[in-house]
Amino acid sequence: MTYTLISVSSVTYAMKSKTVLNNLGHYCEIERQEKNSRTGCGYLIRIKDDPSVIVPILERNGIRVRERKTVER
Amino acid sequence: MKQVYFDNAATTYPKPPSVSEAVKSAVVKYGGNPGRGGHAYSMNAAEMVYSVREKAAAFFGAEPENTAFTLNCTHSLNLAIKGIVRPGERMVISSMEHNAVARPSYALSKQGVRVDVAKIGRTDSETVSNFKQLIGPDVSLVVCTAASNVTGRLNPIREIADICRKSGVCFIVDGAQACGVVPLKLSDGMNFICTAGHKGLYGPTGTGLLVSDGKYSLRTIIEGGTGATSAELEQTGFMPERLESGTLNTVGIAGLGAGISYVNSVGMDYIKSHENELSGMFLDGISGLPDIKIYRDGEKFVPTVAFNLAGIPSERLAGALSEGGFALRGGLQCAYLAHRSLGTLPDGAVRFSPSVFSSAKDVLLLINYLKKICKTGL
Repeated sequence: MTYTLISVSSVTYAMKSKTVLNNLGHYCEIERQEKNSRTGCGYLIRIKDDPSVIVPILERNGIRVRERKTVER
Repeated sequence: MKQVYFDNAATTYPKPPSVSEAVKSAVVKYGGNPGRGGHAYSMNAAEMVYSVREKAAAFFGAEPENTAFTLNCTHSLNLAIKGIVRPGERMVISSMEHNAVARPSYALSKQGVRVDVAKIGRTDSETVSNFKQLIGPDVSLVVCTAASNVTGRLNPIREIADICRKSGVCFIVDGAQACGVVPLKLSDGMNFICTAGHKGLYGPTGTGLLVSDGKYSLRTIIEGGTGATSAELEQTGFMPERLESGTLNTVGIAGLGAGISYVNSVGMDYIKSHENELSGMFLDGISGLPDIKIYRDGEKFVPTVAFNLAGIPSERLAGALSEGGFALRGGLQCAYLAHRSLGTLPDGAVRFSPSVFSSAKDVLLLINYLKKICKTGL
């Protein structure tokens, strides 16, 4: 199973990401970032859908994407 | 003695039952600190806070991330005004501002900001012209109340916003008296709407909103923990966390969400027409009284009426009304500039302000009580 973790800078952006993506039929979950980025704690969007589709959606909606990582399990 | 409440311009009362329920339920349901962890308690609270943020943003035509929770309208106005203007710059405010605008402006004037006051004229076009004359290239900020908290008069904020937009000047609107009664949207042209949550939005006290169109980044006057960018000593740079240092008023926010839902469900058209009917009835009832002075210059109003009776100091009259079972506010209503403009210093005026829960029967009782005072004196 492959999923992507998208790091956003605050819980507000995490919640907005979830709302925007769910409204477009992309199921996702929010989780706390385990390893802090350079700027400090943040939240992750865990999503199975293609990140090359998801990230532009988030950016179009004014959501700051800090980094993303694809995980295979 | 039963008290009839007509001081809704200060804070609305009663609140809708759904607001009380939301507050009670929030104490039990939302125990975690939103945005401060990944555990279920924190995330549960964060979800509720975000849902209210979305609702508030939609109410003003804003993006959720540009909608910050504050303690009250004064808090919002201080954040916005002091976040924009710098020493050496010039700002323009109206002659009918509440102290929530007048005092921060005065404080800034002592730090080298030039503050000019645009007179609210007899007509809207006169007001617009007065603003136009004062807005020049050296002005960085204009602040105007959407509706006076003393007279209820609505100001031509769209037209003022238009001048500001054409001049590249930031425009902040104090929406405390207008929000929830008349539609106020960022699309009207202002850059910031500052408002209370506990007045026309029927939320609990201790709630306010700062709504931005995102064009201006505010310098901060309060810094601290935001749950974001914690590894940096520099304050978080993005909204809304930039302006939300410290733990949010989760319980109040839950109540505010219920208040906004209430306004949406009842509808501002109904609220406005009901309250206008009551203020119209009140005006009709008192206008024939001997020695009545009603402060009602202007074209459009929210349902607030300021008056004085028979030369009785307003605080004394308000005291007598309170003894008779009617809660109205006398004095200056924290609006020195407005009363200076109206010529009502030092005693101010008595203010009648109904809400959606006020009744015609109670307005008639108040009119009769004022008639009795006229006949028998205090």
